Amino acid sequence: MTRRRPLTRWLIALVILHGVIACAGFFAPYDPLEQDRQRPYLPPMRIHIVDKQGHFHFRPFFYTFHLREGSFDQFEEDTNTTVPMRFFVRGPRYRLLGFLPCRLHLFGAENGRINLLGSDAYGRDQLSRILYGGQVSLLAGLLGAGLTLLLGSLVGTTAGYCGGWRDEFLMRVAELFLALPWLYLLFALRAFLPLAVSPLEAFLLVVVVTGTVGWARPARLVRGVVLSVKERDFVRAARGFGASNVYLLRRHILPETTSVLSTQAAILVPQFVLAEMTLSFLGLGVPEPVPSWGNLLANLQQYSVLVSYWWMYLPALTIVPFFLAYLGLANALQEYAEPYKIEGRSDDSPT
Amino acid sequence: MRYLLRRMLHAVFLLFGVSILTFLFSTLAPGNYFDEMRLNPQIAPETVASLRAQYQLDRPLPVRYARWVNSVAHGQMGFSFAYNSPVGPLLWVRARNTLLLTLTATLIAWALALPLGIWAAASLGRLPDRALSWTTATLLVIPDLVLALGLLIMAVRSGWFPTGGMVSVGFESLSPLNKLRDIATHMTLPVVALVISALPMLVRHVRAAVAEVLDAPFLRAAAGHGIPRRRLLYRYALRDAANPLISLLGFSLGTLVSGSLLVEVVMSWPGLGPLLLEAILARDLYVVIGGVLLSTIFLVGGNFLADLLLLWADPRIRTEAGAE
Amino acid sequence: MQLLLNVENLMKRYVTGKSFGSREFLAALDGVSLSIQTATTLALVGESGSGKSTLALCVACLERPTSGSMWFDGRDVAALGEKQQRAVRPQIQLVFQDPANSLNSRLTALEIVAEPLIIQRRFDKQTRSKRACALLERVGISAKKAGSRPDEFSGGQRQRLAIARALALEPKLLILDEALSALDCSVQAQIANLLLELQASLRLTYLFITHDFAMAAHLADEIAVMDHGRIVELGAAEKLLRSPEHEATRCLLAATPRFHGAANLPEGL
Repeated sequence: MTRRRPLTRWLIALVILHGVIACAGFFAPYDPLEQDRQRPYLPPMRIHIVDKQGHFHFRPFFYTFHLREGSFDQFEEDTNTTVPMRFFVRGPRYRLLGFLPCRLHLFGAENGRINLLGSDAYGRDQLSRILYGGQVSLLAGLLGAGLTLLLGSLVGTTAGYCGGWRDEFLMRVAELFLALPWLYLLFALRAFLPLAVSPLEAFLLVVVVTGTVGWARPARLVRGVVLSVKERDFVRAARGFGASNVYLLRRHILPETTSVLSTQAAILVPQFVLAEMTLSFLGLGVPEPVPSWGNLLANLQQYSVLVSYWWMYLPALTIVPFFLAYLGLANALQEYAEPYKIEGRSDDSPT
Repeated sequence: MRYLLRRMLHAVFLLFGVSILTFLFSTLAPGNYFDEMRLNPQIAPETVASLRAQYQLDRPLPVRYARWVNSVAHGQMGFSFAYNSPVGPLLWVRARNTLLLTLTATLIAWALALPLGIWAAASLGRLPDRALSWTTATLLVIPDLVLALGLLIMAVRSGWFPTGGMVSVGFESLSPLNKLRDIATHMTLPVVALVISALPMLVRHVRAAVAEVLDAPFLRAAAGHGIPRRRLLYRYALRDAANPLISLLGFSLGTLVSGSLLVEVVMSWPGLGPLLLEAILARDLYVVIGGVLLSTIFLVGGNFLADLLLLWADPRIRTEAGAE
Repeated sequence: MQLLLNVENLMKRYVTGKSFGSREFLAALDGVSLSIQTATTLALVGESGSGKSTLALCVACLERPTSGSMWFDGRDVAALGEKQQRAVRPQIQLVFQDPANSLNSRLTALEIVAEPLIIQRRFDKQTRSKRACALLERVGISAKKAGSRPDEFSGGQRQRLAIARALALEPKLLILDEALSALDCSVQAQIANLLLELQASLRLTYLFITHDFAMAAHLADEIAVMDHGRIVELGAAEKLLRSPEHEATRCLLAATPRFHGAANLPEGL
C-alpha cells in the first residue's frame, strides 16, 4: 500500500500538532490568565548554556530582565541572576484534556518566570497564551467544519437521492449561498447577532455562524457522489432483494461519500480556523481575556505594538505548520481517494 | 441571443435571491435593533426617532424590503445611520479605492501567473516546474492574515514603506505627479500582499489547464508540422486551455470587491473593508446589506462576464447556445 | 408445463425534452408480449437500444411500466403496489452485465452473497454464513476465498459471485442481462455450462438477454427477437435459426461471426 505512506505521515504530523495543543496545560509553563503587571511586554528570553564568566552549565538557564536605566519600557538582561530551567516541575493547576486535574508542567523555573516567547501588555506569558489559544481556535475550526460537513451531507444526500423538486430547490438555494462572498457573509451574519457576549457564547456563535455559511460546496460534492452511486447496479440489485431506502443509504451510498467528505474536511478545517482567527482579530469573535490565536494578534493593530514589540506577531506563525499539515493531508487524500475501483485483472487464471 | 438573455435573467434572479436572503438574516437579530442603537452615543436620539418614523422599521419585513429595493433603484441603497447619509454614495467612494487596489493586484497577478504557469506546464516534471510547485505550495500555506501582518511589521521596522492609509498628510498640496507617486507608495504593500495571496492558486490552475492541453494529440501533430515551440504554446495550447482559464478569470473579477477586506483593514486602506467593519461594529444595518449586495453583484457579474467571454471564445458553446 | 411469466402489451415511455409546451416521448417498450414456461430458457436477442434492458428492469419490478400487464406465477405483478412488489421481487432476480458495477467493491464475497438474506431478514447470522458459503461452492468458488474482495477475483469468478448472490433467495426466474457479454470467450463457455447445470438441478427459469445469437442458440429453448421496443419474431430456437422470417432477425443472424470447426453451434450456423 505505497499510496498510504504519505497519508500516514501527514496524519501523524497532525496528531502530534493537535496533541501538543490538546495538552496545552502540560506544555505551557503558566496559566494564560495569570498577569504580571510589573513586567509588561517582556521580549523573549534567550536560552544560555555558557554564562558571563565563560562557565559551561549542563542545565540551560535564563537571565531575568530588569528595566534599563532611565527607561520605563525597555528591558535588558540582568546577568547577575540566573534562572535555571527545570523540567517536569510542579506548577499552576490545570486540567489535562479538560478533566484530569494535574500540576505537572514540561518545564518551569524555581526562582523566576521564564517567558520563552515574551509577554504581553499585562505581563501574561505569550507561550502559554499561544498554546491555550490554540485550543480555542482549533476547536472552533474543527466544530465549524464538522457542522458544515454535516449540513452539506444532509442537503446533498436529500437532493441527490430524492431528486425531483427537492433537488431543484436545494440546488438553487446552494447556488445562492455560493454566490455570496464567504467572508462578507460571515461578517454580515456575525453583525446581526449580539456583539457583547460572554466568551463561551461568542465561541458558540463563531462555530454556528461559520458552520452555516459554507455548506453549499460540500452539499454539491456529496450530491454528485450520491447521484452516481444511485445508478450503480449493486444498488439496483439490492433494491431487487427488497431493500428499503434507509438500508441502501446506510450500507451502500453513504460509505461512498466518506472519501469526498474527508478530503473536504482536510480543506475546510484550516479555513475555518482562519475564519475564527479573522473574526477574533477584528473583535467579532472570542473576546478577552480568553486567548485565541485571533485575539492574540488583535493588539498588532496598534502602531506602537507594531514598532516596538515584534514578538506579538509570533502567534500568527503558529498556524503555519497546521496549515501545512492539513494541506499535505488534503493532497494525500485526493491522491488516495480514487474510488475503490476494481482494476481490470486479466483473465489468465482458469475460472 | 436567447442564451445571453437567459444567463442575464439568471443573474438578476440570483441577485434578488441574495438580497432577500440577507434581509432574512437581518431578522435574526434578537431584540429590537433600535434598542441597541439608542445606546450608541454616535447616533442622536432625534435621528433614531425620525428614522424610525421615516423608514417604518416596525413595519413587516416585506414592506421594508420593498422600500429598500425602491431605494436601490434610485441609487441610494438605504440610509446609513452612522454617517447620516444615503448608503449608495458612501459605498461608491470606498469602492473606488478598493477597486484601485484590487484591479492593480489582479492585473499583476495574472500577468505573472500566465507565463509562469505556461512555463511550468511546458517543463512538466523537470526542475523549473518542481521549483515552482514548491514555491506555490509554500506560499499557499501562509494565510493572508499572517502575510498582511508580516508585511506590515517589515514595513514598520524598515521604514521603507508607509504603514497605512492611502495618502500622506499634505496630499492636497502635492503636484499631480507627486500625488500619483504618493498613492503608489501607499499602494505597494497592500498590492504585494494581494498578489502573493492570489498568485499560487492562479499559477497552479494555469499550469493544470495548459498541462492537460499539452498532452493533446492535435498539438503533437502541429509540432510534427514544424510549428515553432513558442507559437505552439501561446497560439495553440493557450487557446484550448482558455475555457477553464476564462472561468478562473470570471472568479478573479468576481472577488474584486470582496477579496481585499482583510488586507484593507490591516493596512488601513480606506476601502470597502474598513467601512463594512465599522458598520458591523456600529450596527449600521443598511451599510452592511449594501456592502454584501455590492460584492455579490461583482461575484455574479464576474461569472456572467466569464459566460460572455466563453461564448465569444469557444465556438462549441456558441453552437450549443444557438441550438436552443 | 405452465407459464411462469406472461407479459402482455408492456409499454414503457420516457419523457424527454423539457421545453415549454412540447413533451416528447421515447418509447423504450412499445407493446411487448412474451411468455416463458417454467424451467425453460427464453433468449431475448436484439441490438443495443432495442429495449432489452428496459424490459429486464420491468420484469424484475425495478421499473414501473407505463401500461400493460405482467403475470408472474399467476398474479398480475404490474398492478401491485410498492410494498407488495417488494414481496414479489425476491422471486425474480437479475444478473447484470458488468460485475465491476454490480458488486460493491467494499464488501467481501461472503457479505455480497449473504446480503439478500440480510435484507430479507432470513435466518440468523450463523446460518446465513453457512448458506452463503454453500452458494459459493455451488457456483465453483472455494469457500476459502469467502473473505476476499471482488477486485481479488477474475472476471469470470466475479460473475459467478453475482450468480451466487442472485440464487440466495431461491428465485424462480433469473434474468441474465447480457451476463456473459463482458467475459472472455472461454470463460463464457464455462459460465454458460454452469448456468445450464444450475437450471437442471434447481429447476430455474431463465430470461437470457443477449446480442449474441450463437450464445442464444446454445442456451435457449425459445428465442425472441426485439427491435425498437417490439418483439418482431418469437419461436423455438432451432426453427428460428434455420428459417428466420423477420428482417431484423436476418440482420442479426448475418452479423454473427462464423468459425470453422466451432463445436457448440447447431447446424445451419
